[in-house]
Amino acid sequence: MFGLKRLFILILAIILPFSGQLVFAGEQLVVYSGRSDRFVLPVVEAFTEKTGIKVILHNAESTALLNKLTLEGKRTEADLFLSNDAGNLQVGADKGLFLALPDELAANIPAQYRAPDNAWIGLSSRMRVLVVNTESGNVDSINSVFDLADPALKGRLAITSSANGSYVAGTTVYLLAAGEEKTKQWLEGMKANVDGKVFNKHSAVVKAVAKGKADVGLVNHYYIYRHLAEHPNSPIKIVLPDQGDDGMGVAENVAGVAISQYSKKIDAAKKFVAFLVSEEGQKIFAEINREYPVRPGVATAAEVPIAGSFKVSDVAMYKLGAERNRTLDLIESIGMP
Amino acid sequence: MHSVARPLASTASLVALLAAIPLIFVGYNSSQLTLAKWVALWQNRIPELLANTLSLSVLVAIGCLILGISSAWLVARRDFKGRRVVSWLLILPLAIPTYVFAHIYTIMTADDGWLGQIWLVFFDSSLDIFNIWGTALVLTLAGFSYVFLLVRIALMDANRSLEEAARIQGASSLAVFWHVSLPLIRPAIAAAMAVVVLHTLSDFGAVSMLRFQTFTLSIYLQMSGRLDYEAAAGLSLILVALSLTFMILERFFRRRARYFSTAQSRHHTARKASKGELVIIWSWLGLICLFAFLLPLLWMLQWTWQAITNGAIDARFWGYTFNSLTVGALAATLAMVIALPVGLFHTRIKSRLSSACLYFSSVGFVLPGPVVALGIISFAVFALPALYGGLTLLVLALVIRFLPLAVQSQEAAMQQLTPSIEQAGRVLGAGPLENLKRVILPMIRGGMASAWVLVFIDSIKELPATLLLRPVGFDTLPVRIWIEASEEMLELAAPAALIIVIATIPAIWLMARTGVNNNGNQDEAASRGF
Repeated sequence: MFGLKRLFILILAIILPFSGQLVFAGEQLVVYSGRSDRFVLPVVEAFTEKTGIKVILHNAESTALLNKLTLEGKRTEADLFLSNDAGNLQVGADKGLFLALPDELAANIPAQYRAPDNAWIGLSSRMRVLVVNTESGNVDSINSVFDLADPALKGRLAITSSANGSYVAGTTVYLLAAGEEKTKQWLEGMKANVDGKVFNKHSAVVKAVAKGKADVGLVNHYYIYRHLAEHPNSPIKIVLPDQGDDGMGVAENVAGVAISQYSKKIDAAKKFVAFLVSEEGQKIFAEINREYPVRPGVATAAEVPIAGSFKVSDVAMYKLGAERNRTLDLIESIGMP
Repeated sequence: MHSVARPLASTASLVALLAAIPLIFVGYNSSQLTLAKWVALWQNRIPELLANTLSLSVLVAIGCLILGISSAWLVARRDFKGRRVVSWLLILPLAIPTYVFAHIYTIMTADDGWLGQIWLVFFDSSLDIFNIWGTALVLTLAGFSYVFLLVRIALMDANRSLEEAARIQGASSLAVFWHVSLPLIRPAIAAAMAVVVLHTLSDFGAVSMLRFQTFTLSIYLQMSGRLDYEAAAGLSLILVALSLTFMILERFFRRRARYFSTAQSRHHTARKASKGELVIIWSWLGLICLFAFLLPLLWMLQWTWQAITNGAIDARFWGYTFNSLTVGALAATLAMVIALPVGLFHTRIKSRLSSACLYFSSVGFVLPGPVVALGIISFAVFALPALYGGLTLLVLALVIRFLPLAVQSQEAAMQQLTPSIEQAGRVLGAGPLENLKRVILPMIRGGMASAWVLVFIDSIKELPATLLLRPVGFDTLPVRIWIEASEEMLELAAPAALIIVIATIPAIWLMARTGVNNNGNQDEAASRGF
């Protein structure tokens, strides 16, 4: 009979070794990772080599993973949650999904980069900066992100779609630092300037500015250096916005980590966090993406502006959580593309 | 006969119930929406989504009609060198999933891409496909082959003597096509339109890559961007209603327009193309093949080669491939097995219940991936928390989504089973089970095999439900394409896409072959498209 039996045996042969793998796993940690695998893998490999603990990365958008954690509750297989957005981390903390980290781990990281109750800690920080075309005569007067709403920049502004997580987080910082009215006007001005044409990715924003298709773009700082590494003669430069005494400073956002409330391997999970905040871990984690390590005293990549040499917004990172929905509502009500 | 009726009826009903799970839970979830939230949805989201979704469907339908009918007519009515090769090239785009299509086109049309560079020679501003036109173009290239396939069959079947009579009366080529051929192939066009529009309504790949807000994308975003399952369920219900309305409309119009051709009009050779016609044929069909298949293929080959030379094809990559095959094999086997009682019940004992079972097990047709995932997640949370984690939920979702394929191919095969064959078996002393094993199964094995292949292929291509339901650390090829594409790691997305395309070709072959063998059975050929 048409090999039905054979087919079943084949299927069984396919599943059995696989399910065995699931059941007989040795000591291994499951990390829900909202951060690109290529930025996480090097540090994970270094950790496994050092401790023998395996790490399974489950990659998806940060918010999708947070939803998964919420839904799974105590049934979750996740031991840790890694996100590139402090807002997401704090929302998870507010939902009681995370275990407070012990002081000796948290103390490695300055207080503004972690949850008030240490439910999550930051690992690396990225700056929301302007990239300008050095050959454009149009950009000398731009020194604040709010200048991007200037009608003079009509058709000359490059931003990503408002679905981007860094975009949302940056907007939350401006909302907190400058107020809702000003932020709303700013978004509306930018909407008029881009006239429906936004970019899919930050790298495309940088590329557009480099090619002279736009005069100025709003990006995370490392995208500029990633582009310059490939095209050293590209006519672009970084502008750190909102400096000076009355400036609100550059908006930043941190990537961070939290341990699941329902992890059954808390000791191993703590070891992983300890490695991430150690000097060795910080160096790998931050440097590979040219981010700023949050542990004091760990060097940044040579090409980026030296930490402490410029003014950074004083909005505490955990506040990005509670205000996130307000930002989303604002963006939606304006109909930002 | 009646000794088998009851167990058959109850198993078939169980299968239908299983298939209805997502719909039931989506309905339940949306019933939790308060009136105020419904009003807010109607005011803020639904008008835009409705406009976007419908206008995209219309554009894709028009695009597919133009490409599909013109290419089908040229291939069916003119003989030229390379006709067979071109026929294949016009079907092969079906092997490329829409997210791969969209991904490749975003890269090719970027300023430094193959097409973007050419564009900039002629135009000042960059080529922008992140809009309704770009999305419609991608979905048209990915879907016109359905029209081509069905219309070509209809044209080959159509009674040529009618066309010849019109020609003798002095009608021009165009007039013959418009007044004679077109009415004859109208049922095929309707069937193909149904396939194309249902695909557009449920598409996730292209609209998400190109950020064009349709119902399907919005449902996914509600689930992954905010935790709002109730709003997602509300939107799902509207989408399902939209698809159902469309299916019913299509059935209604097609029923009113049926043409029968007399059987003796089969053997016709197409006219040899003249020199002038050859120029048109080669440039038009060449252009279609180039954009719908050859360019994407070339792109995949180039980046796969890059990946091989960079050593990016490692154990991890083969792990993803293995995961994809595992999921596909599980879903296909399960769907093939549970489709059996539904088909058998309906062929053996035609009744209201059997038709109901048949319809309910086909509900996957109108459930896009995110909707199935939503229903399954809610089901697991409320009813069967033990199922959470592991492969169960993912496989269940895929089985429900693609069960219609399995049911229809098996049911088609069962049509040839006459009761007398089975009765002969009974007379010779075979019990119901032995009859099933020794008489029925051997006779429908072709249908079962194609059911397996079709579900397998669609399962390994499926993206949104897999993204939402895959177990921890379990990445498949589509999931990796999605992740790599969002990280702009081209050389890793390309080999994964290439493997999916290669694995899909057998199904395309099967589809094209069945289409040709079962002349005129457009219903079946159309359903194969899903």
